[in-house]
Order: sequence, then structure tokens, then C-alpha cells
Amino acid sequence: MKRYESVWVVNGDLPDEEVKAVSDKFSRIISSHGGMVVGLEEWGRRKLAFKVKGTIRGFYVLADFAGVPGTIKELERNYRIDDRIIRYQTLKKSDKVNLEALQEEIAARAKKAAPAPEPEAAPPGEEAVSLPEEAAAQEIPAEAPPSQGKED
Amino acid sequence: MPVMPRRKRKQFYVRRKVCRFCVDSGLAIDYKDINTLRQFVTERGKIIPRRISGNCARHQRRVTRAIKQARLLALIPYVPAQPPA
Repeated sequence: MKRYESVWVVNGDLPDEEVKAVSDKFSRIISSHGGMVVGLEEWGRRKLAFKVKGTIRGFYVLADFAGVPGTIKELERNYRIDDRIIRYQTLKKSDKVNLEALQEEIAARAKKAAPAPEPEAAPPGEEAVSLPEEAAAQEIPAEAPPSQGKED
Repeated sequence: MPVMPRRKRKQFYVRRKVCRFCVDSGLAIDYKDINTLRQFVTERGKIIPRRISGNCARHQRRVTRAIKQARLLALIPYVPAQPPA
């Protein structure tokens, strides 16, 4: 697994629910294609530096996640299909991922987000918090998508 | 005597610029950090050359890359809509 970060820009003229739906959709795509979402960071609505697809405002979301090349392929394919996405960029942050450290990071993020629970961060976070050793042990062979599905 | 002043004028003082990313290792180059990147583009949105910014080759490459990444996401303009007069 490699560590990636991906930014997508949602058309800023869309209502908040729509923006939220997009975040949910793409974090689900990541986790259902062999990836693990560490966290989503919403930068909110910003004015774009130039017009993109007829709009001047965009809602930026940064996703920090670990994944396999197939994850990226599927993610970017969906970016291109979805009309609500006006720009995207995926960058590789590191080539190797320590799964235990990753679990801890996800748990830490979930804990921090606990007062204001995020639906997409909750499922992996709960597991990591309640049974850290077991979850880590399970995760090591669980790189392939099928076992990811079993967890869900 | 007329030779002396001319020579003096010729050897003007060049302040050696140092790469600020080398001096301060805490400074990161990131496409998300727009305020830092803005220091390396002109008002016209052009990337400032190394000769002027004083960056070392390595960091200039990174700055350039970060600027281009930021442009793609419409964080900073390729060309400002209304360039300052």
C-alpha cells in the first residue's frame, strides 16, 4: 500500500448536501477498492483563481488515504464521470505504509473528530479504537479488497 | 587617477542570495500553501526565475512543481483575470 492524498473540487454552486454526498461517495470508493481513508479535510468554499466549467466557486476537499494503484485508477475514473467534480489531483505522499501506524493515525483522527462525528470516518475509527491489536493483526493480511468488504 | 574611479564603479557589490528553503529547513514547499507560493510568482502569475528569487536548483524545482500543481487546482491563477496596472 502507498500513501496518497487527493484533492477534489466540487462545483461551489451546489448546495451543501450535494457536496456532502460527493465526499461520502468518494470516500466510499476509496475504502471499497483496497484503500483506507485516514481523513478528509474540507477546506470549504473558495473562490477559484479562474473560471472552471462555468463556475467561479469551488468546494475543496482533501482526502488523505492509503491505497493500491487500483484504488487510484477507480477513484480518478469516477472523478471524470462525476459532473459535480470540476478539478482533481492525486499525489503520492510515500511509497510505504506502516499498517499499524496507519491504524493509530486513523484512531487518533477519529478521536479528534468524535465531538463532531463524521459518518465516513466513524466505521474504521470505531474498530481501531475498540480493538487496536486485533484490528491491526487483521489488517496485515487484509490488503486485498475482498477482506475489506468482509469488514464492512 | 581617472582610471581608479572607473574601476571602482565596475566592481559593484553583489549580495549573495541564499536559498531560503536551505536556510530554514522548517519551511516546506507545498502546493496547498498558497501564500508562500505567491512569493514566487510575479503579479502576472509568472514563476520568478532562480536568478531573482535566489532559490537553489533543488528548491526551485520543487517550488516550480508546487506552483504548477496549485494552478491545476485553480488555487493560483495561470494568468490573473485583471493584472494590476
